Amino acid sequence: MRKQRSLLIVILVLVIASVIVLINIPMRLGLDLRGGSQLTIQLQTSEEVPTIDERVINAVQSVIENRVNGLGVSESVVQTIGQDQILVQLPGVNDPEQAERVLGGTAQLDFREQLPGTNDQLLAETQVKQQLEFQLEQAKQDGDEAAIEKTLASVEGNQQAIAGLYQPPILRGQDLRDAFAEPTGNDNWNIALRFSNQGGDKFAQLTKNLAGTGRTIGIFLDDELISYPTVPVDFAETGITGGSAVITGRFTAEQANDLAVQLRGGALPVPVEIVENRTVGATLGRDSIQRSLYAGGGGLILVLIFMVVYYRLPGLIADVALIVYAILTLAIFDLLGVTLTLPGIAGFILSIGMAVDANVLIFERTREELRAGKTLYRSVESGFFRAFSSILDGNLTTGIACIALFWLGTGLVKGFALTLGLGVAVSMFTALTCSRTLMFTAIGLPELRKPELFCPNLKKAVS
Amino acid sequence: MKFSVIKQRSLWWTISGVFILAGLVAMAISWTRPDIGAPLRPGLDFVGGTRLQLELDCSVPDNCQGPIELDEVREVLANQGLGNSSIQLLDKDPLQQDRQIVSIRTQSLDVEERTQLQDSLSEAIGVFDPESTQIDTVGPTLGRQIFISGLKALLVSFAGITLYLTFRFQFDYAVFAFVALFHDIFVTAGVFSILGLVLGVEVDSLFLVALLTIIGFSVNDTVVIYDRIREVIAKNPTLPINQVVDDAVNQTLARSINTTLTTMLPLVCIFLFGGETLKYLALALLVGFIAGSYSSIFIASTLLAWWRHRQPSSPVPVSVDNPQAIEDQQ
Repeated sequence: MRKQRSLLIVILVLVIASVIVLINIPMRLGLDLRGGSQLTIQLQTSEEVPTIDERVINAVQSVIENRVNGLGVSESVVQTIGQDQILVQLPGVNDPEQAERVLGGTAQLDFREQLPGTNDQLLAETQVKQQLEFQLEQAKQDGDEAAIEKTLASVEGNQQAIAGLYQPPILRGQDLRDAFAEPTGNDNWNIALRFSNQGGDKFAQLTKNLAGTGRTIGIFLDDELISYPTVPVDFAETGITGGSAVITGRFTAEQANDLAVQLRGGALPVPVEIVENRTVGATLGRDSIQRSLYAGGGGLILVLIFMVVYYRLPGLIADVALIVYAILTLAIFDLLGVTLTLPGIAGFILSIGMAVDANVLIFERTREELRAGKTLYRSVESGFFRAFSSILDGNLTTGIACIALFWLGTGLVKGFALTLGLGVAVSMFTALTCSRTLMFTAIGLPELRKPELFCPNLKKAVS
Repeated sequence: MKFSVIKQRSLWWTISGVFILAGLVAMAISWTRPDIGAPLRPGLDFVGGTRLQLELDCSVPDNCQGPIELDEVREVLANQGLGNSSIQLLDKDPLQQDRQIVSIRTQSLDVEERTQLQDSLSEAIGVFDPESTQIDTVGPTLGRQIFISGLKALLVSFAGITLYLTFRFQFDYAVFAFVALFHDIFVTAGVFSILGLVLGVEVDSLFLVALLTIIGFSVNDTVVIYDRIREVIAKNPTLPINQVVDDAVNQTLARSINTTLTTMLPLVCIFLFGGETLKYLALALLVGFIAGSYSSIFIASTLLAWWRHRQPSSPVPVSVDNPQAIEDQQ
């Protein structure tokens, strides 16, 4: 009895903790439920880049991230999948045309020469640029659509203004062979550039023009100014020759690396293609989640009613255990950061089915033992004991299927496998611990210790 | 109220045979049909393509006058050179049959082609609500990847489950559990092949998900009965196998029915009232679960009895976890 009481307390604490988790951490909903666009971008090999390795995919990812930032979508996600694909999630985007156009092209990196006498304007515009970037970040965090839109328009104007301060491009991305961060020795980092032969000549010319004038080299990625170094006067005679250069400027390792990756991404002529687009309008997502949730919820209530009607007191206990199960499982999803998608919800509802099955197995066993003339306590005891191997087998086989799905499946399939698998694991715990504790607590109370509450039409011979 | 599965086993086998045969015929017909070309009608997940679902925006005045006309949509598509696309009209409110939603499945379109199509549809039919638009585009290569990874998952879980059953029971148990499992997969695939022929229902990644779940549940059902067979044999080693199987099936019958019923309740609700996306997932699961509990009660058990009966010398399986233990304390 003492053991039961402490288990009861543990269960109660777990439930309260789960409710607190559920209230405080909102559930992460997939794009199919909240609306938005999910794009899969396929990297293609080209003559210059015959294989896609990690360096290449990281470089392209940084270019894509750069472009996604320019779209002004809050909570966007850019991640690599497999060896040569990049997944972009844009919550809340109803028409992805713009995003597809922006994300679909090969990166455009170029080096431009600043026009004479524009230093003050450049200073002013770059300050505006920084300010706008900050505002955009702020607006995204607040989720203020109007502010985002307004800021994006200003960003565009600012970009055009900056571009107007430079001559047309002289040196293009394909002239740049490589870019990487290198330490200078005293905690500062530089970015080293290597050009092709042709690019080296162009770069020498460009730097010769600019050396000592205070005018800058504008490095543009997809028409956005990402760096604007000046050239020291020492190079006024010949320009920077030899096909390599360093950008200095007290960069931290991270800053230097970010810039190098961006430059590499712009230099690589990797054609990208959008091979998958899944877009769900926001209202449509909301409607479908509501309908499916109502339907699934309604079905579950029917299950709860059925359990009480058919199994009496144990049915009621099972219902309590099922509700505990649902709360615990949802809290675990929440804590693990599981993104809930429609197939994920289906997986969850199925795992509830499994949890019900465990209870059904136990109670059928209990009834059999009662009919065989055993005492109530013994019957309940052996009901749990004997149903265990069936429950274990059933759950393990489902678990095997889930592992295969999660391991080999793609997007939607993974979500389903994850929720079903986690659900099955939790249901083993609740069916065996929670139902059991509640059941033994119940038969510990004299007023509930009546076999007829457990099995209708039982012969009176049993005490 | 005890009933004997063994006595009428030829009836049970015939019923299953008829279902599977019907499914196979449907698959053969689908395969020869040029517009399908596969045993089941593949969705765009597997072969690539674009699906556009557009809903008229009724907040715009005079926009929702009457249902969308199929012919108008067809004409727009023909003008775009997409005459071979399939078109479906759907209802915003299933009770009113208002036909305010159009769903179009075409070959894989890029963003320019898609925008053009959307614009000309809008011109011909009315303003669409971007908040209710659904777009799915899958490139053909990616489609094949999704299909292959799904099949791999299916095969790996088959192998894993057989291994587990061989280890937990015996090899012939595992074989017949497997037969039952294939039975369920074939029945479900057959039903969807027929639906594909009759109603144009397509199978997508979610269908693979359904098949995998059915595998899990089907094996679960079969294992429960096998567990009981093993227990009955351990308790009563001299009982003839036919009797053992009959007893085991009867003892677990209430559980089999109740479990199937409780799992089906939410699924039926989702199928009838749930969102469009989950409808066919729910249907596939329903078919599979019904087939699954049928096959474990009527097929896996009778096959095992038939097999063991033919080989009276086969060793009696010994229970792994000795259920006798509790009995002795009485």
